[in-house]
Amino acid sequence: MRVVTGAVTVVVLAGACAVPSRQQPGQATAAVRDALSEASSAAETTRLAVELLDEGRVTTPVADAAILDQVRVLEEASTALTTLVPPDDTSSAQRAAGLEAVGGVTVEVVAARAWVARAAGGDLTDAGDVPASGDEALARLDAATTDLDAVLALAGGA
Amino acid sequence: MKKLLGVALGILTAIGGFVDIGDLVTNAVVGSRFGLSLVWVVLVGVVGICLFASMSGRVAAVSGRATFEIVRERLGPRAAGANLAASFAINLLTLTAEVGGIALALHLASSVEPRLWIPVAALAVWLVLWRVKFDVMENVAGLMGLLLVGFAVALFLLGPDWGELVRQAVPPSPPATEHVATYWYYAVALFGAAMTPYEVFFFSSGAVEEGWTAKDLAQNRVNVLVGFPLGGLLSVAIAACAAVVLLPAGIEVSSLSQIVLPVAQAGGTLLLAVVIVGIVAATFGAALETALSSGYTLAQYLGWSWGKFRRPARAARFHLSMIVALLLAVGILMTSVDPIQVTEMSVVFSAVALPLTYVPILLVANDPEYMGEHVNGRVVNALGTVYLVVVCVAAVAAIPLMIATGAGS
Repeated sequence: MRVVTGAVTVVVLAGACAVPSRQQPGQATAAVRDALSEASSAAETTRLAVELLDEGRVTTPVADAAILDQVRVLEEASTALTTLVPPDDTSSAQRAAGLEAVGGVTVEVVAARAWVARAAGGDLTDAGDVPASGDEALARLDAATTDLDAVLALAGGA
Repeated sequence: MKKLLGVALGILTAIGGFVDIGDLVTNAVVGSRFGLSLVWVVLVGVVGICLFASMSGRVAAVSGRATFEIVRERLGPRAAGANLAASFAINLLTLTAEVGGIALALHLASSVEPRLWIPVAALAVWLVLWRVKFDVMENVAGLMGLLLVGFAVALFLLGPDWGELVRQAVPPSPPATEHVATYWYYAVALFGAAMTPYEVFFFSSGAVEEGWTAKDLAQNRVNVLVGFPLGGLLSVAIAACAAVVLLPAGIEVSSLSQIVLPVAQAGGTLLLAVVIVGIVAATFGAALETALSSGYTLAQYLGWSWGKFRRPARAARFHLSMIVALLLAVGILMTSVDPIQVTEMSVVFSAVALPLTYVPILLVANDPEYMGEHVNGRVVNALGTVYLVVVCVAAVAAIPLMIATGAGS
C-alpha cells in the first residue's frame, strides 16, 4: 500500500512539475513580453556601454564584458521565444515578430562589440559588418531597438 | 591614542567589510527594478546585523565560545548536526558566489575569461588563509573594501533628483510594473544579503581568534554600531546608482558589468578603476571570511582544534576543511554556472538559514550561566524578540516566494 501511495505521489508531483505543451493566449503574450523586455534591457545596456566608450569614460574590457553579457541575455530571450508554443494566431504572430526583432537587435549588439574590439586596436576594417564609429553603432542599434519597441508595445509592454 | 587608532581601524574595516557580492548584486538588481522603494529593507537588515553581531561578539567575548560550539552545547549533537549541514551548505553557496565574484571583477579589469580566474582566485584565497595573520588579513581586506565608497561618490557626481529618490523610498511600495510577490521576494533577498549567517560565524570566531574579553565589549559595540550602518549606506549608494542610471533606461541588472556602468558614467575610468579594485577587495575579503567560516563551523561542531592563531600543522583538519570548501566552490563554478545566479540563490537561502544560528545566540545571550552580568538588557531583548519574528517570517516566506515568482523573474 505504501509503495502504491509513494508511486502515486511521485506521479502527481512529476505531473505538477511538467512543462505544459500548450499555454493560454494571455500566458503566451506575457512570455513574449518578458522575452522582449529582456532583449530591450540588453539593447539599452549595449547603448550605454558604447556611449561611455565613445566618450572615453569606460575601459575597453568593461565595455566588452558588458556587451558580451548582453549577447547571452539575447540568446536567452531568443530561446524563450523559440521554445514557446503559441496557442492562437495572435500570439503566434507576436512570437514571429518578436523573434525577428530580437534577431535584429542581436546583429547590432554583435556589431557594436566588433566596434569595441576595433576601438581597442583590433585589426577589423570597414569591410566587415563593423560600424565605422560609435555614432554609427548607436544609430544602427537605435533602428533595431525601434523595431523591438514596436513589437513590445503590441505585446502590451512599455 | 593607540586605542583611538584601534577603534578607527575597527570601524573602517567594518565599513569596508560590510559589502560582499550578495550586497552588490542584490542592491543593484533591486535599484534597477524597484528604484529605492526597498531601501527600508536595508535599514531593517542593518539594524538586524548590528543586533546579531553585537550579541554573538558579546557571547564569544564573555563565554570564550564561538557560535557553533554554543549551537552544539544548546541543541545537542543531533539537532546541531542538522543545523551544521544546513549552515555549511549555505556557507558553501556563499563562498562559491564570492569566488565567482572575484573572477567576474578580475574579468572586468583584464578581459581574461572568468573561468580562467576562478582557480587563480581560489588559490590566492587559500594562500592568504595559509600564510597571513588574522588581523592583517582582516584589516587589509576591510580597508581595501572601503574603495567601494566610489559608488557614493558616483551618486553625488550623477547629480540625481534627490526629491525623486526620496519619493521612491517613502512611502515604500512596489512600482506599477512589478508584481507584489516579486517585491516581497526581493525584500527577503535584500534582508538575506544584509544578514548573511557567515558574518556571524566569522565575527564570533574572530572574537575568539583575537582573544576578546569582557573588557573589549565597548570597542566591539562601537565597531558594529558605527561601522555596519556606514557600510549599509554603501549598499544604498549601489542601489541608488542603479536607480538613477539603469532604471530610467529600462535596464535590468543581470551581470556585474552592468553594475559598474553608472560609476563610469559619473566618474569616468579613474572612478571605475577604484570601484573595480574595491569589488575585488570586497569579494576577496568575503571569500576569506566564508572559507574560514566553513572551517570554523565544522571544527567547532566536531571539537577539532581550530583558529588561525594556531599554526596550520596544529589545526590540520580545520585547514583541510577550508581547502575542501574552496575546491568544492571551484568545482561548482567550473560547471559554467552563472556566479550572479549563484549569488541570488545564496542570499535567499541565507534568509532561510538565519534562524538556525540566530535562535541559539539569542538564547545564550539571555543565559546567566554563560553570560553572568552581561546578559541582554531589556531594550536588546525587546529588539531581539522583534527580530526573531522578522527572521522567522523571512525564512518561512523565502522559498514559497521564490517558487511563486520564478526566483524574481
